[in-house]
Amino acid sequence: MKNCVTRILATAGLALLMSGPATAKQNSCSDPILLGTTISETGPFSTLADRWRKLTEVFAEEINKTGGVMVKSCGKKLPLKFVIYDDQSVPATALQLFEKMATVDNVDFFVGPDWSSLGGPVPPLADKHKIPMVMANVATPAVYERGLKYIWGTPFPVVPNWSARYFDMITKVSPQPQSIYFITHDNPVMKGISATWSKKAEAQGLKVLGNETFSPEMKDFTALIAKVRAAKADVIYIASYDNASVPLVQQMRQLRVRAMDVHHTMLTGALFRQVGKDIEGMTGELSWYPGVKGDYSDLVETVMKRSDVTMFDYIWTLGRLTSYLTMVQAIEKAGVVDRERVKEALFKGTFKSPAGDVTFDEKGFPNTGAFTVQMQNGKVNVVWPPEVATGKLVWPSPTWQQ
Amino acid sequence: MEVLLQVLIGGVLLGGLYALVAFGLSLIYGVARILNFAHGTLLAVSGVLASLAFTAWQLHPLLIATLLGPMMFVFAYGYYHLLLRPLAKRSHFESTVGTVLVTVGTLMILSDLTAKAAGATQRNIPLRMPVIEYGDIIISTTQLLILAGIVALTVIMHLLLKHSWFGRAVRAVTQDAVGAQICGVQSTRIKAMTFAFGSATVAIAAVLYVLSFPVDPYMGFSLTVKAFTIIVVGGVGNLPGALLAGVFLGVAEGLTGLYWKPEWAPALSVVAMLVILVAYPKGVGVKT
Repeated sequence: MKNCVTRILATAGLALLMSGPATAKQNSCSDPILLGTTISETGPFSTLADRWRKLTEVFAEEINKTGGVMVKSCGKKLPLKFVIYDDQSVPATALQLFEKMATVDNVDFFVGPDWSSLGGPVPPLADKHKIPMVMANVATPAVYERGLKYIWGTPFPVVPNWSARYFDMITKVSPQPQSIYFITHDNPVMKGISATWSKKAEAQGLKVLGNETFSPEMKDFTALIAKVRAAKADVIYIASYDNASVPLVQQMRQLRVRAMDVHHTMLTGALFRQVGKDIEGMTGELSWYPGVKGDYSDLVETVMKRSDVTMFDYIWTLGRLTSYLTMVQAIEKAGVVDRERVKEALFKGTFKSPAGDVTFDEKGFPNTGAFTVQMQNGKVNVVWPPEVATGKLVWPSPTWQQ
Repeated sequence: MEVLLQVLIGGVLLGGLYALVAFGLSLIYGVARILNFAHGTLLAVSGVLASLAFTAWQLHPLLIATLLGPMMFVFAYGYYHLLLRPLAKRSHFESTVGTVLVTVGTLMILSDLTAKAAGATQRNIPLRMPVIEYGDIIISTTQLLILAGIVALTVIMHLLLKHSWFGRAVRAVTQDAVGAQICGVQSTRIKAMTFAFGSATVAIAAVLYVLSFPVDPYMGFSLTVKAFTIIVVGGVGNLPGALLAGVFLGVAEGLTGLYWKPEWAPALSVVAMLVILVAYPKGVGVKT
């Protein structure tokens, strides 16, 4: 019996050793370059990312059409391959999956994850395994201020630049707003945005009349909206993920909230589909849109078209794709599939993207920004800065003044 | 003053909806002694179905409620017989643990199936009706209709339990299942029908809910917790008590949001309920 059990265990152990995905070895010139990532295909953030698996696979296909990533030390291009898991929008799940990719799948490098709530627990893993990680949409500065050496991020935009163009715009409109009210979704990046931009609003001479925070599960906003209505602010600034703010926007319309403008940090197609006409006249941010030419813009447009991803529906797509582009460029700069050399290439580096150059500081924090958009007759138009605008700003917003 | 009145109106409406959710659970627990953790998820799923029916076929919410109620009754009746009734034959401990496991599993399966079929995004029935403005107070006609629906449902349930044979049988089984059996009441059948009836009630409540608030497949558990809180404070099987407790919960959430911070509303309202429980251990309200 004991012999039988031993034999079974030995066989199982051998099978385990021989199984598992083919993994690239560091400094190899014969294996594909393996990038590990998680995507929020399910869970609360899935409305922002559920088509990104296809996007990622198509990106690899397009890169590999020309042979792959140029690796100078090999004298040739190596194909790119992604290992993709669904983190279910749950930080603990993302952590487990990245650990798995490091120890079982043996990926060469990490790209992603997204969202500051996942960007909290996951990055220390990169330092633990010494695997360079270019996160995608992790915009909160605090994530980068922990002394970690193996992380970078390509959110579009970062919190300090999030509404830079919007606040520039409102200094040039007439009538100029005098007051602002912040409504914040209880989430790390949204609280960071509110904290940063309420200070900047005050520095700009706007009177901050209030800052209310709401939990993601909140459905009845009567009390909060009653406070906002009583304050009579010129601008209402909603710092929230799209899904969480659906009942807020609907109830603001029902309870006849008035303002010169209602600004939303995540004006997305998903929000539009859920609230419909209630979104009309609102302003927001957009990182980039097809038609704006820049480095890799043709590649990005092709990848988005092939994977049926539109920028308005999936406004964080540029951040995701830029994390891939950055890693590819870093490998090319390093000239070898070696984690330490790629890390050196990423450190304080400058990388090309369709929305301009992305430059990292010593903490891996980028300098990315976004355009200001407005919903006009059911369509999203870039309204600021004027030189790239696709539509003329309507100020004050007629639908929020009625 | 007007702001306070606005918040109170919203709180009463929200509390009334909570109470409707709790009615069904109160009956289910009172009669069948089942801790149905999937109760709130049934509302979420019904709400998603209602929203889909409205969007796809432009069905009137009243018609949707008329269709959803019986559908949920049949589903719940079958569910009880297949999965919950066999557990009643086990020991008390096994039955309780088994019921919890089955209903929690159902909650997860229903949520995931609904998300897979209809997506995880929030949905509602965006019926835009005229509003009544009185100074700074705004009341939408939708809210008034929902309030009327809540009152009507409450009255119907009360009359049903007080004056119908089914209601008498339910009360008999609640008081003494063995005694009721001796008197010719098939307690097993009554338990199944009560479970189905409670589930049908929550399906109708879902239609009223989505007229005001969005639902998604994963929001059910928090509603179940609220419903449990309400039936504990209001008294198990006590509909007027549940209504009072529900309205109190809704108003407490509104006032917390108004005078303190909206993000503390869910926590503080539960604390308030616990304080009431200390003062009234058997719950508030008169027994039906």
